[in-house]
Amino acid sequence: MRIASSTRSPAVSARHSRGATTTGRPLASVPGIGRLIEFTQSLDLVQTISVLTVVSAIIFQVDHWLFRIVSGICFLMFALRPSSLRRPQFWFALALAGTITIILTWEKVDNHKYLLVYWTWVLFVVHLFREPEQQKRILLFNARFFLCLIFLAASAQKLSSPSYRSGEMFEHYLYVDPRFAAFGKLIGINPEVGDTVTRKIHFLRSPFADVEGNDIHIEGSDRARTAAIVMTWWDLGLQLSIGALLLIRKRRTDELAHLLLLFFIFTTYLPAPVYGFGWILAVMGFTLAHDKFPKIATGYLLSFFAILLYQLPWRDWVLKS
Amino acid sequence: MIIRSAVWRYALMLCVPCVALVIVARQVYLNTHYGLSTWKGGGMGMFAAADELSNRYAKVFLVHSDGNRDALAQFTPEDMDLLNRALEYPARKNFFRAARQIGSENWIPAFQRRPVLRVNGNGDPMNAEDKAYRVMVASPLRPDTEEKRPSVEIQFWKLTYDPHTRHLHGSLAETFVFSPEELFRSRAMPNDS
Repeated sequence: MRIASSTRSPAVSARHSRGATTTGRPLASVPGIGRLIEFTQSLDLVQTISVLTVVSAIIFQVDHWLFRIVSGICFLMFALRPSSLRRPQFWFALALAGTITIILTWEKVDNHKYLLVYWTWVLFVVHLFREPEQQKRILLFNARFFLCLIFLAASAQKLSSPSYRSGEMFEHYLYVDPRFAAFGKLIGINPEVGDTVTRKIHFLRSPFADVEGNDIHIEGSDRARTAAIVMTWWDLGLQLSIGALLLIRKRRTDELAHLLLLFFIFTTYLPAPVYGFGWILAVMGFTLAHDKFPKIATGYLLSFFAILLYQLPWRDWVLKS
Repeated sequence: MIIRSAVWRYALMLCVPCVALVIVARQVYLNTHYGLSTWKGGGMGMFAAADELSNRYAKVFLVHSDGNRDALAQFTPEDMDLLNRALEYPARKNFFRAARQIGSENWIPAFQRRPVLRVNGNGDPMNAEDKAYRVMVASPLRPDTEEKRPSVEIQFWKLTYDPHTRHLHGSLAETFVFSPEELFRSRAMPNDS
């Protein structure tokens, strides 16, 4: 391995703006949208992905003091000196803090937090290289790999899970999971059912109560059952399609996969508050779409704002209305 | 940095995906054979099964040498952290870690004995049973006298939902009993990693 230093190619931004005029024409005629597409295209891919990842590490961080401190210091360094994002040491510190945190608490860390850490390692590797083409190559390869892995592995785990296939899991969550209470109310499920079930579950869990047969009845509805089955197969179908289409690596299938992924991000993270996961998916989607599909890349850019807006306390508003 | 060796370039490009694949494979293995929640451990199976913490719970008892049992319901954050981790990955060594933490607390009875409430399937309390437990709380003070420590029994329960009958059923998956000798014979147990 021979090491030397070089500077970033200035041709990158010029090439981006050329792409915008050829592929973004129909929407470009709409005032504002054309400018937005051009703006998206003018963004430097590696720099943009780096910023979005740092933001993700700050907002949707791994919940541990070590990662909080290191990601906070990294963000401060970035704010004071934006060029620090180009240093592999910056990403090494963030990735190492994430890895140590996960090793210490691996049984309780949600799966999508691992993704954030993998992605920080990818950015560390990216910044070991100085040639923009090589950096982009690594980003594109890893973005595609992880999107395929995420969706195909998730599909496999869901297909192999009897409680998922039967629709039992989503129906259960519609009744008992407070994250789904507002969504449940929007589709006509009475939130009082959830409150009652929670109280009954409290008896089951308590050593000071003895529930007959350890069995409690839920005053459910056929509507919840139908909604759960629709959610089950909608979710699985979408995930399987995205993973399989991205595996083919053709322009047409990629375009379709991106449209499905955007649809997935915009619709899934409204009811399911796993925003960090949605953000990482959008980062990977943006990486793949930036050069090839300017309009879709703009869609990903908008999805970041949507994910932030989804954190409005709309669930409380719905439940109180 | 310019890395000219093609082998190094490929190695660097593939290293993170390779690690991710190994972790996914490990998660699937632990999930299949050792009950690790599909939501945890680095797989991709969030929302793949209702087997996360909200559907797993523990009932913890102190079992005294005379056979008396005290049910524990109020835990310190440290107890809860270890207990939750054991519920996510229900291996004996994880319950052992939780039991040792719980057993090391100075548990004192807060009130008089509380009878166990009998509840029907609709969640309505019916009557009090003859069985009763003391309500125990963890005291920050050390005990005045060094008494013989009790055993710790942890019952690991799972909740399952039957969509056909719309019944939620709690089933006892496993009971772990740790004697005081096992818990406190050494601070550096070999299986406590």
